[in-house]
Amino acid sequence: MTTVIAAPPPPTRDTVPPPSPSGKRRVEPIYYAFLLPSLVIFTLAITVPAIIGIFFSFTNSIGFGDWDFIGLVNYAALFSDPAILQSYLFTFSFAVTTVIVVNVLAFLLAVGLTARIRAKTALRTVFVIPMVVSGIIIAYVFSFLFSNSVPALGQALGIDWLSESILANPDLAWIGIVIVTAWQSIPGTLLIYIAGLLSIPGDVYEAADLDGASKRQQLWRITLPLVSGYVVINVILGLKNFLNAYDIIIGLTNGGPGTATRSIPMTIITGFTGGDYAYQMANAAMFFIIVVVISVIQLRISRGRNSV
Amino acid sequence: MPRPSPRRIARTIAAAVALTIAGSTLAGCASASSADTVQFHLSKPEAIPYFRELIQQYNASQSDVNVVLDTSSNLQAGFLRGNPPDLGLLNYNMEMARFMERGALSDLSDMPESERILPEVQDLVDQYATYPGRTSVLPYSVMAASVIYNQEIFDEQGLEVPETWDELIAVCDQLTAAGITPFYGTFRDPWTVAQGWFDYTVGGEVDVAGFYDEMNELGTEVGPQSPVSFEKTFAQPVDRMQQLITDYANPDAASRTYGDGNLAFAEGEAAMYMQGPWALGEIAKTSPDLALGTFPLPMTDDADDLEVRVNIDLAAWIPEASDNQEGARAFLSYLFEQDVMDEYNAAQLGYGTTVDAAPVTDPRILGMKDYYDEAAFYQGASKAIPLTIPTENYTQSIALGDDPAGVLRTLDADWARLALRQ
Repeated sequence: MTTVIAAPPPPTRDTVPPPSPSGKRRVEPIYYAFLLPSLVIFTLAITVPAIIGIFFSFTNSIGFGDWDFIGLVNYAALFSDPAILQSYLFTFSFAVTTVIVVNVLAFLLAVGLTARIRAKTALRTVFVIPMVVSGIIIAYVFSFLFSNSVPALGQALGIDWLSESILANPDLAWIGIVIVTAWQSIPGTLLIYIAGLLSIPGDVYEAADLDGASKRQQLWRITLPLVSGYVVINVILGLKNFLNAYDIIIGLTNGGPGTATRSIPMTIITGFTGGDYAYQMANAAMFFIIVVVISVIQLRISRGRNSV
Repeated sequence: MPRPSPRRIARTIAAAVALTIAGSTLAGCASASSADTVQFHLSKPEAIPYFRELIQQYNASQSDVNVVLDTSSNLQAGFLRGNPPDLGLLNYNMEMARFMERGALSDLSDMPESERILPEVQDLVDQYATYPGRTSVLPYSVMAASVIYNQEIFDEQGLEVPETWDELIAVCDQLTAAGITPFYGTFRDPWTVAQGWFDYTVGGEVDVAGFYDEMNELGTEVGPQSPVSFEKTFAQPVDRMQQLITDYANPDAASRTYGDGNLAFAEGEAAMYMQGPWALGEIAKTSPDLALGTFPLPMTDDADDLEVRVNIDLAAWIPEASDNQEGARAFLSYLFEQDVMDEYNAAQLGYGTTVDAAPVTDPRILGMKDYYDEAAFYQGASKAIPLTIPTENYTQSIALGDDPAGVLRTLDADWARLALRQ
């Protein structure tokens, strides 16, 4: 959250209230009242269950009934489980690839949609529509397209590699997931980039024009550095979302073909549905630690950027 | 206004938390069943309308017990909180067996209904797990599944139902020569591979229950050196499964779903279909008059080895933690009245579980009757593997061409690892 607040250009001096003479600022109790409901719900619904889950990761519980402490056995088993390791490899490769695809395409679209073009508002609306459709529905629709429409097209045109559903090919199925996830995620990223591009004052470009900078130089030397804060937000939010990939994969491949596209959240869910509670709690704990580490690193980088 | 001390804030938060917890506990009490209410859990979608009507009749016929239908609450969470339904009637499988194995289900052996259950059907329950000295689960309806075939195509080609592996291959070859796809595959849905192709081929050759007894005994020792293993014991049937798929299934099977398959089979695009009786109703939606039959998949050279796959589609149980076991037992007795059971099974194409059950009459499932009556049946091999192992996905990868030995080796390794930590 802090990065989101930190990202817009800092407010100008005179809007900041002057510090009180005593050096301490009085805090209105009403602020605490505002925080209280979400704090309580967050504690009860997220923090407490997380702690209980981590506790159970040191047991052999299957979710109910008797259990014993088994120490770090679950964690040791995780590292020797090829299915778990494969899900980590898949999830991280998928997340990194998708972040790159989404950000590059969304940035290009944002540059186009903030330029002086016709029907700008209508086009923006069109590009944002995918955002309002639920992931599982998008997945089912694309699943139909990939399995029926695209192969039919491939056969009609005589293109061999298009004639079979890419979702049925263990080596290519992940591409289908990247395409659909990108299609759904680009609008949100796009909106943030549009906001960023609009916040750049026009006179900077006028000055650049006068100095004889080409359009390409303007993009690399002015636009990109000035929206770098927005790039960081989009990368952090995107990575977080894509590491949690679940609904689109369920709708498209269900982890298949074989186990080629099983993501970490999918394996964690089997802890509940498959009675492997303690083991998957250990998996969740490990996943949590990895995500925290990544987030801290990203926050460090983004702080460094903003203070420049 | 004075600045609130940190301690006061802490106290306020603590009070709010306490209040919230107290509130949720009260809500929990309110939803729990009171003395004369029986929470009846039933989640099979096709069965809900039938039982809803039945419950209305039952509630109107007496005043001691008020049955409330619950179709959606989470069972695992209910048992976890000590607030399970009073009576459950649902699919019996590995997951339900867990509750029984840990003693969460009460003993029903003193009820007269338990005497009427066919012993070989009651054995199916014990194949998953048992609890010493208890009969906790009473089977209500059994689904028998085997190869569904299109009788029109078989008649046109002058084909007989095959009873040995060689006859099966001959039938497939003749169909192929006539330009007809022998089998319709729907490999986009992994469960269809596991339920049909994998379970039928394995069950046609291997003694499934005996195999898993040994596997459970071996536990962590399952591997390349163990006397039985997936890799060793399933090698031939799974190789043959892949052979059937490569040689005789529709070429686009990899991208077809269960829904596609029902439609295609109803339109006569293939002669045989590895599905259960649940698909018959779907097929009838497209082609209500299509003449269909069923036969067990022959995997050996001996017609005496033929067996059909069964699963306990509905079974009744009453949790220990139920606070109205008496009411639940009264309604259970009503459910197990023979005409109530017979009507249900006739409507859902199920096989009866009691000694006095009416025989099945639907021609589409008559082909399995003799085998069922002689207890020539097995429960699906894929269903005896804990859900945490992605068995369906593994069988799908074999269907799509992965080396069977490698996949079965992975399955062995997963089995041993799971035994180590549970």
